[in-house]
Amino acid sequence: MSWQFPKLTRRRFLQSSGGVAGFSLLAPTALASGETQGGGEVSKEQVYSICNFCSSLCNVQVSTETENGVKRIVKLDGNPHSTLNRGKMCARGQAGMRQVYEVDRIKSPMVRVEGSRRGEGKFRAVSWDEAWAYIAERVKTRNIHPWEWTMVGGWTSCVFYMYWAVPFALANGVPNIVASPMQHCVASGHLGTDSVTGNFNIHDEVLPDYDNANYILFVANNASIGAISTSRMVRFAEGRKKGCRVVALDTRLSETAAKADTWIRIRPGTDLDFLVAMLHVILDEKLYDEEFLKKHTNMPFLVARDQNGAWAIATDAAGNPRVIQDRSGEVVSILPYSNQNTVDIHGAPVHPALLAPAGMLLEGRPVMTVLQAQMAEIADNTPQWAAKTTGVAAATIIQTARDFAAAGRPIVDPGWHGARYANINMLRRVQAMLQALVGGIDRKGGWIMSGEYHHKVAKWHEAGRTLPGPLMTTLAGVPFVSELVKAISNPKTFPHGRPAWAFAFAAQERAAGREAVAVPALADTGLLESVTGKLIYNGEPYLTRAIVINAANPVRHYYPDTQWKSILTHANMELVVVVDVLPSDTVPYADVILPNPTYLERDEPTIYGNGVNHDLALTTRFSAIDPLYDTLETPDILLGLSKVISGSIEPFVKTLEMLSGIPAQQTMAAYEKYRAQGAKSPYSRACRDVAFATTAARVHTTPEKLHLSLKQHGVHLEVSAEEILAHHAMPRQMALPTTSGRLEFFGSLFVWLRDAMGGKGPSFNVLAAPIPAACRPGKTMDQPLEKDEFYFTYGKTPTISYGSTNSNNPVLAAINRFKKDIYTGVWIHPERAALLEIRSGDRIRITNTFSKQQAEGTAYVTSQLHPDAIFLHSSFGVENKALRLSAGIGTATNKLIPYLVEPVVAGFRSQEFTVRIQKI
Amino acid sequence: MEIMSYTTQDMWTWWFALYLFLGGMGAAVIVVSFLTHMYLREEKELVMWGALSGVAMLGLGSGMLFLHLLHKWAAIYILTPWGILHKPDSWIAWGSQFILWLQIAAVLFALPFMVEKPRLLRWPIIGNVLKMEIVRNVAATAARFQTLLGWVAIITGLGTAVYTGLLLQSFPAVVLWHNPAVPILFTVSAFSTSMAWLLIVMYVFIYHRVDHTIRALYERVDIGLITAELVVIYSFFNYTLSGSESGYRSAELLWNDSGWVLGFVVCGLMIPLVMELRCVFGRWTGKVPIVTASMLVLSGGYLLRHYFMAAGVYAYPW
Amino acid sequence: MTRYVMVIDLNTCVGCNACMAACSLENQTPVWSDHWRTYVHDRESGAGNSVRRHFIPRLCNHCSNPPCMTVCPTGATYRTSDGVVLVDESLCMGCQACALACPYKARYPYTHADIKTGKEYYGALRRKAPSMDKCSFCHHRLKVGELPACVRTCPGGSRMLGDLDNAAHPVAELVHNGTAKPLLAHLGTRPNVYYIPQR
Ligand SMILES: Nc1nc2c(c(=O)[nH]1)N[C@H]1C(S)=C(S)[C@@H](COP(=O)(O)OP(=O)(O)OC[C@H]3O[C@@H](n4cnc5c(=O)[nH]c(N)nc54)[C@H](O)[C@@H]3O)O[C@H]1N2
Ligand SMILES: Nc1nc2c(c(=O)[nH]1)N[C@H]1C(S)=C(S)[C@@H](COP(=O)(O)OP(=O)(O)OC[C@H]3O[C@@H](n4cnc5c(=O)[nH]c(N)nc54)[C@H](O)[C@@H]3O)O[C@H]1N2
Ligand code: SF4
Ligand code: SF4
Ligand code: SF4
Ligand code: SF4
Ligand code: SF4
Ligand SMILES: [Mo]
Repeated sequence: MSWQFPKLTRRRFLQSSGGVAGFSLLAPTALASGETQGGGEVSKEQVYSICNFCSSLCNVQVSTETENGVKRIVKLDGNPHSTLNRGKMCARGQAGMRQVYEVDRIKSPMVRVEGSRRGEGKFRAVSWDEAWAYIAERVKTRNIHPWEWTMVGGWTSCVFYMYWAVPFALANGVPNIVASPMQHCVASGHLGTDSVTGNFNIHDEVLPDYDNANYILFVANNASIGAISTSRMVRFAEGRKKGCRVVALDTRLSETAAKADTWIRIRPGTDLDFLVAMLHVILDEKLYDEEFLKKHTNMPFLVARDQNGAWAIATDAAGNPRVIQDRSGEVVSILPYSNQNTVDIHGAPVHPALLAPAGMLLEGRPVMTVLQAQMAEIADNTPQWAAKTTGVAAATIIQTARDFAAAGRPIVDPGWHGARYANINMLRRVQAMLQALVGGIDRKGGWIMSGEYHHKVAKWHEAGRTLPGPLMTTLAGVPFVSELVKAISNPKTFPHGRPAWAFAFAAQERAAGREAVAVPALADTGLLESVTGKLIYNGEPYLTRAIVINAANPVRHYYPDTQWKSILTHANMELVVVVDVLPSDTVPYADVILPNPTYLERDEPTIYGNGVNHDLALTTRFSAIDPLYDTLETPDILLGLSKVISGSIEPFVKTLEMLSGIPAQQTMAAYEKYRAQGAKSPYSRACRDVAFATTAARVHTTPEKLHLSLKQHGVHLEVSAEEILAHHAMPRQMALPTTSGRLEFFGSLFVWLRDAMGGKGPSFNVLAAPIPAACRPGKTMDQPLEKDEFYFTYGKTPTISYGSTNSNNPVLAAINRFKKDIYTGVWIHPERAALLEIRSGDRIRITNTFSKQQAEGTAYVTSQLHPDAIFLHSSFGVENKALRLSAGIGTATNKLIPYLVEPVVAGFRSQEFTVRIQKI
Repeated sequence: MEIMSYTTQDMWTWWFALYLFLGGMGAAVIVVSFLTHMYLREEKELVMWGALSGVAMLGLGSGMLFLHLLHKWAAIYILTPWGILHKPDSWIAWGSQFILWLQIAAVLFALPFMVEKPRLLRWPIIGNVLKMEIVRNVAATAARFQTLLGWVAIITGLGTAVYTGLLLQSFPAVVLWHNPAVPILFTVSAFSTSMAWLLIVMYVFIYHRVDHTIRALYERVDIGLITAELVVIYSFFNYTLSGSESGYRSAELLWNDSGWVLGFVVCGLMIPLVMELRCVFGRWTGKVPIVTASMLVLSGGYLLRHYFMAAGVYAYPW
Repeated sequence: MTRYVMVIDLNTCVGCNACMAACSLENQTPVWSDHWRTYVHDRESGAGNSVRRHFIPRLCNHCSNPPCMTVCPTGATYRTSDGVVLVDESLCMGCQACALACPYKARYPYTHADIKTGKEYYGALRRKAPSMDKCSFCHHRLKVGELPACVRTCPGGSRMLGDLDNAAHPVAELVHNGTAKPLLAHLGTRPNVYYIPQR
């Protein structure tokens, strides 16, 4: 509280120097902010778009003003017509308009300066023609084969351009795709949930109905709720205003936990123990919704151990599952695929029992129900047992289980970000099981799947569970993933006879007797080996020599940073193409940089579903202003690359028609038209025109009417959630896309992984069971840590997306300065800090005890976390100085996390180690 | 609310303390010198020195404020007399008017003496101005209304001195400032420092040109003023120690700071008090002790305002 | 008569800072100088197992008895008939007295330098002269029947705006029935921003 003489410092805001030469050399083709002269007439306009800063996909209203012929974006707001985000937006969404006017934007294609090395970040601006010529020349002179290409895509390339990206890969013979959200998020976390519900959409996060819940349990959630996913937060706030009870399981007092009635400060990595104990209590005390379990889940299915001692469904000779008739005790076969267990295979009514008599034998083998097998599996995992590792009193666990089950309309949030521990699959799976135990799936006050997802599954059913149309646009859920996995893992998919290197690598590992990842779909395992020549397929090296990275930032987003740096700088790597809007940490490693227009400058090439919205609705983007710089949209870039890789665009266009239903002939006609007109991204425009026509036909209207509806409201509502649930609630009305059509406590997905993919170990358990986190070799989580040793935890900041370039957004950067200590500091508990004589503001060194990686940080001493853990926000640590407002701020997770993946889908075990803290 | 935070402001800093100090002292210098001339003995030298130095101090002080205005053109709204009609509740509005008219009245009051003063007439620029016809006419007119001008200066001067305290008093969030003793303290201090300044002037610059009785009187009055100031400071100490966290924290800030305790209370009040007492009782003679004491009083006058500005504690519920 | 009041529900504010971002863009505030019309504080209380985390949004309280207005010498700070305290940038000379008078730290200087940067930054800056600046309750939006930018975007539904003189308005009701309480009421400023304490 000292009073100082006037401070003369004013933060330099728009510095003119500094940064990488390649970026600052570029003169803007228009004034960055479109400055106007004098005061002419101002005309205002509003268009609708979709936010681009996280996969909550909020609908956006964009306000523009035109003065003296210059049109500027002046404000963004949530689209008031949207039932998804209800007119609201978070700070990142609000500040999004500044991305358009970012002074550090990539303003034209660029090529690495001859003689410089990748990573130095020296670029010169070139024309698009020069850029294409550069790529073509490389591919030709270095003789790069299609399979030697790898595509890396971020979530935006997935959500918005998957219809082009996947056909691009398949058409051009590129089997290799790395999708950056998979190993962190979608694959590693959601797989568990999906194994119970069969859900798997593009970003298949379930949006629970918090509005109508009266009890919510959050498990390791924060950015997915309060910090922040707007579509969830608006609902959570409503629920809370109505008095809903909230319990949050978190190692620290997160934004979300701060809004809970009870914050349970759990030891990191032990959530599964807590939830398994809850499962134990609920099963033991029969607190579940008995009728629901009998009717819509595989809980009453009979199971037995097979000859290897592994659990299997005790099917009849025809492969039908069997249940015991309540009262009569008779064993009957039921339909192998159905949403309910109410009739047997002959159509006679069935009322299955949840418990088989003790010692029951079937065909000479001991059998029991899934429920009993599950109970037996976790018989020892009592609340008292869990209390030890979690550090939470047994009474609290019991109370939580009872409160949850008794609430009436409880929700255990499905969770979003995966990774962290190898047990995350199982954790999310148990969460889904708990939700299913109370019957809270697809009903008011429970988990409700998205309108789009219902729609696709319903169509799939109508088509007799066969492909109802083009794969990319019509199939959903686990069937979709398995199709995709089949395509990229099967050598026969491509004329060159190679599967994706990830699968080749897994096979090589297995052959060598090492543990391999069961389904490395869209993951990066094997890439390093492929680049460095250590991957041999059919007797010859399977090399990766070219890479195209679109809207992804692997140097920042994968672990560790050194891994991707060595991939991108390796001598075998002949060509690195990066498509981005800003100079991310990956961009300096490019040979060629291809700039996209920012989202507000784009008319998207198609019409999309409305994300996780419960309502079925359509939406798209309308560009608010013309592109400010010399940029090209993604479909046009993929078209250009197709020309280079395949020498022709024909395969691409044809595959598009087949997989994504984009009619080749019409699109090409429109493309030629726009090209002749000199339009900027002629192919994207052509696709959009055609998309309006085809979508309008599907929703029985004219393209003009559909256009008007979207233009005026930004969203076009097709069917309300009420109506969808009335006809298509899963599993009450319609079978789920699981193997059995029911909610699966006995995980058939894991049966497949175990039996067909060779999965071994606790991660492949077909039933729920604890998997201890292995942060220290040979030690359990509750054993005392060294004086300077901590568990490592991280989470997202409300103001930043991932480790993304929006940390450079001036508005967000200013908020981060305001909350500097909390957001960019390393959280450490006062009791532990005192022992190390660390105080807030002290610089500390963090050393990974496992990998010896090191990073520095600034201590933020706070009681708001578990004393065993340190916590830092995963949003900071930008390296590229061309991001002038965010470079050098905070501590980077990618400098501390080693390459450690779990065996199911290669999810990152990004917290499964300990660190040492030292004051410097 | 479970959360409170306590902070001081960093907008009005040393330059504002200087404004308060020079403004209060300058005004009091004019008042004291004019009153002396009008009702004790005719002292033209003292009037000229008082008026000119007072106006300079006021100018310098207001200049500090002006320099720190965000939008200097808009100062016009407080310099036009009718501004006060819009904002009679604003002390700055009053203060600005006081300072403006005080400066005008003070110059006019002294002008008749200045145009007759050969030494001034020999000064470059000023001498030329003073020799101008129009200035001599104005001086002649001013001479006719000298008593009126004197009273205008005395009233606006008193107003200015009091205003410097009233201004702070109008900030309700800060307990240290928001109480009626502040104008008293600032007024007393203004007069004490003005005495000190005039003593310096009389001892150093115009020793032989003013009557000794004036000096003796000023010394005695100053002793009274310093004593009064000590009493007020002591009462502040007591007042801030209980009643509110804002006040308590102000007290903590002040009394833990050697600049306040040693610089202001000891060196700015107690030591000069003792020194002046010794001078008055004849223990010490000569110019040096009294000039030293006066300089200490001046520095104390600034430090009082400096620490008063610095120690105003806001209590925020977040 | 209309008397605008804001009620902030601390039970649903998650400290997402969307209000800060929305306000800065709507009102073209100088974020580069780290000045905002509204802040969301993130504070800790208690210790050990009873530690709590509080998000406290703050902005101008639009006091019915505003000391900032009393001290203002130019008349730049004034109160509208619907109870909103505003600064007329053309009158304000930027003496900052109002900032010291305000017990809620609601005011900050918008300087010449800020205007220069702002012109580059916002392209067309609405403001022409430097002045003290603060939350205006988005009076320009209220006039055309729109909610303030921060209220409109608040994902927590924490910020609500209503008319105190319309007793039927849910926001007014929260004030009238004592659910929502003002800050530092003892100072006699009669604030028009109320808070629902966290349960
Ligand atoms: N350090 C760190 N790493 C993380 C995470 C984290 O919190 N911290 N979170 C993980 C999680 S959960 C996820 S889902 C993933 C997400 O990872 P990504 O999907 O890769 O996420 P983004 O940061 O959105 O996208 C990366 C790049 O896209 C660029 N970009 C933005 N807009 C556009 C555009 O319009 N066109 C193009 N071509 N590029 C654009 C950005 O500048 C950025 O460089 O990250 C994971 N990795
Ligand atoms: N602001 C912002 N919001 C976003 C995104 C973003 O990038 N930025 N991205 C979106 C995306 S793609 C994702 S994946 C989601 C991610 O959203 P979430 O899955 O909610 O992810 P985080 O915020 O990273 O982490 C949640 C909490 O987990 C806690 N935690 C860490 N380790 C443990 C543990 O072992 N046990 C327990 N119980 N808690 C632990 C952390 O303290 C943190 O508070 O957010 C979405 N929303
Ligand atoms: S939650 Fe925020 S960043 Fe994510 S889509 Fe919505 S507005 Fe954009
Ligand atoms: S927008 Fe709402 S929820 Fe977010 S910080 Fe502001 S007041 Fe709180
Ligand atoms: S800064 Fe402006 S608004 Fe504030 S008191 Fe001074 S003139 Fe009035
Ligand atoms: S909060 Fe401050 S600025 Fe706002 S009206 Fe009250 S005193 Fe004035
Ligand atoms: S009411 Fe308007 S000016 Fe005030 S804080 Fe909210 S957005 Fe900013
Ligand atoms: Mo994610």
